[in-house]
Amino acid sequence: MSGVGRQVQYEENASMGRGKPLESTVQSCLDGMGISLLSEWDVLAFVYRHGASLASSDQIAHLIGYESTVVKAALDRLESEKLIERSRPSEEVRFYRIFASSDAGRQRRLQQIVSLAETRVGRLLLAKRLKPDGSNRDEKNNRIS
Amino acid sequence: MSKDGLIKTGITGLDDILLGGIPRTNVVLLQGVTGSGKTLMGLEVIYHGIVQYNEPGIIVVFETNPNKLVRDAAAFGWNLEELQEQKKLQIVFTTPQVFRHELRSTDSLLLETANEIGAQRIFVDGIGLLNRDLGGNAPERAGFREMLQQLFESLDRENLTAIMSLEVGSAPNSMATVEMTDFLADTVIQLGRDRKGRRIQRSLEVLKSRGQDYETGEHTMHITEGQGVQIFRRVQAPSRAGSKQPTSSTMRSVIGVDAVDTLIGGGIFDGSTTMVVGISGVGKTVLGTQILREGVLKQKTKGLLVSLDEHPAQIIRNAQTLGLNLEEQVADGTIQILFESPQELDVDAHYARIIKLIEEHDIKRMVIDGMTSYSTAIGELAVYRDFVHAIVAYSKQRLMTSFFNYENPEFLGVSSYMPDFPLSSIVDNLILMSLVEINNSLHRCISVVKARGSKHSFDTREFVIGQGGISLVPLERNLLPPVPLQAYSSLLSRAPTRFSGSKRKNGAAAVQDKE
Repeated sequence: MSGVGRQVQYEENASMGRGKPLESTVQSCLDGMGISLLSEWDVLAFVYRHGASLASSDQIAHLIGYESTVVKAALDRLESEKLIERSRPSEEVRFYRIFASSDAGRQRRLQQIVSLAETRVGRLLLAKRLKPDGSNRDEKNNRIS
Repeated sequence: MSKDGLIKTGITGLDDILLGGIPRTNVVLLQGVTGSGKTLMGLEVIYHGIVQYNEPGIIVVFETNPNKLVRDAAAFGWNLEELQEQKKLQIVFTTPQVFRHELRSTDSLLLETANEIGAQRIFVDGIGLLNRDLGGNAPERAGFREMLQQLFESLDRENLTAIMSLEVGSAPNSMATVEMTDFLADTVIQLGRDRKGRRIQRSLEVLKSRGQDYETGEHTMHITEGQGVQIFRRVQAPSRAGSKQPTSSTMRSVIGVDAVDTLIGGGIFDGSTTMVVGISGVGKTVLGTQILREGVLKQKTKGLLVSLDEHPAQIIRNAQTLGLNLEEQVADGTIQILFESPQELDVDAHYARIIKLIEEHDIKRMVIDGMTSYSTAIGELAVYRDFVHAIVAYSKQRLMTSFFNYENPEFLGVSSYMPDFPLSSIVDNLILMSLVEINNSLHRCISVVKARGSKHSFDTREFVIGQGGISLVPLERNLLPPVPLQAYSSLLSRAPTRFSGSKRKNGAAAVQDKE
């Protein structure tokens, strides 16, 4: 088996064999943060990775490959869950930042899941656990075609 | 904050090139190809602005992930995350379209943020992206130029010192972008990344800087892990130390090595430069070591030995075998040893390290061992010459007594002091150490060929290397061969000739005898 093949096999084993406790961890983190859609996670991850982002929701949608309406909805939801904060608008452009929560448990859950999401196994788990509603543009185009 | 209207970059060597810094509110453009260090340099200017000069800053990125920027900065010991938490720094990810609009808007969120943290510096990484989607035809280029002007005007209005990076590349409108931006920016710094032989050499050149003088030409740039960017002024640049410094002295100092002091007339002028020429193994390094050691012990002057050939441990060990306890002087800092491998020697950085040691330790005697290695390490003859001229000029300005060891490849006899580069006219004194074959044994000889302003001996004297280093063989002492050295003429040639017995003391008669 090639080196790449071995890596894939390991990841599959990890998701199947050791996955159950990991899945529970992921689920509890997501529940604790109030995230149920993959689009919400992807928008949150974008804001987390980019620190203070000065952009419009359309531009964020363009960068992460989602419909604008989906991203707008996600941003609204994330703000209501106090996961992100956004500044006043300046011609549809706002600053978007991760909400500096005083809840240490919440911060820890966020960091935990961000670390997990940086692995292929973690990404697959999130994709499995979160609803695909608010699909991205590519998926929609594929369905249409 | 600088009191002279200049902002300091804080980058090692760069503020010296800029003769103090950059005029406040100048728009600074860092341009160069991929990998030339533009982003790093911009980052470092912002970082030092905060940490050293208490000037908060903003970093604007269009394509780079801010988290990666923070990660990469950490490799140099810069904790950007902490600075953001302290509200002294804000890294902003945005798009070119948003940025184009923001700085021209009275309702700007970016400027609001800058005001909130009291930002005085802003770094924009990738200003060329502002032109990318405007296209390359004439009206669009005019539009970009106008946009740049508005951008610079608003930065000026906000009294922000802006540093911008611009990638010089192969994109269709790249050169037009560069030309426009170069014209509008106040300070333009070009970063180079060129292949030299099989290695990559980084460089920096200030192309223009309104409102100030600066060191022109291409200077060497290093990126050092844990430190950041370092700029080394090119050795060819004339010193600005000032012509008021004396370049000569009437004070003579005893060298402390009998061989030299005896032949050179009792001592050499302080601040003079001496070339010691000789074949490998004749004793140049021993002489140099002795000179430095005697300087510490008898003259209370600190010394520096610069070597490309031998590691300090080896130098100390070899000195020890001759009873010269160099280790003691090295340990107490009265003698410094700078060793650099001649492999891919960076002459600007090497020169800067020499100067730094001299100034930090107030060095009064220096030995460079050996000049031949510089010739092969540097490669280009013109650069080698410039290096030698620079070090000689510096020595004289500081009234530092310097010795340069040069390995002449000619084993027996000397037809040319320095075949590859006629340096002998530059130095004040020239000492020749050679091997002479008498009967079937080699003898070491030393002679002073030149000593400016001194009544030196023209005799060639035999010397030996033993405990304590080099010492002259007494004139009256008979060593093997039985006939003393003074019985021969043409000692420096390949075929010394013995005087006849009755004519030994009469040089002119000896010539007749030979004929």
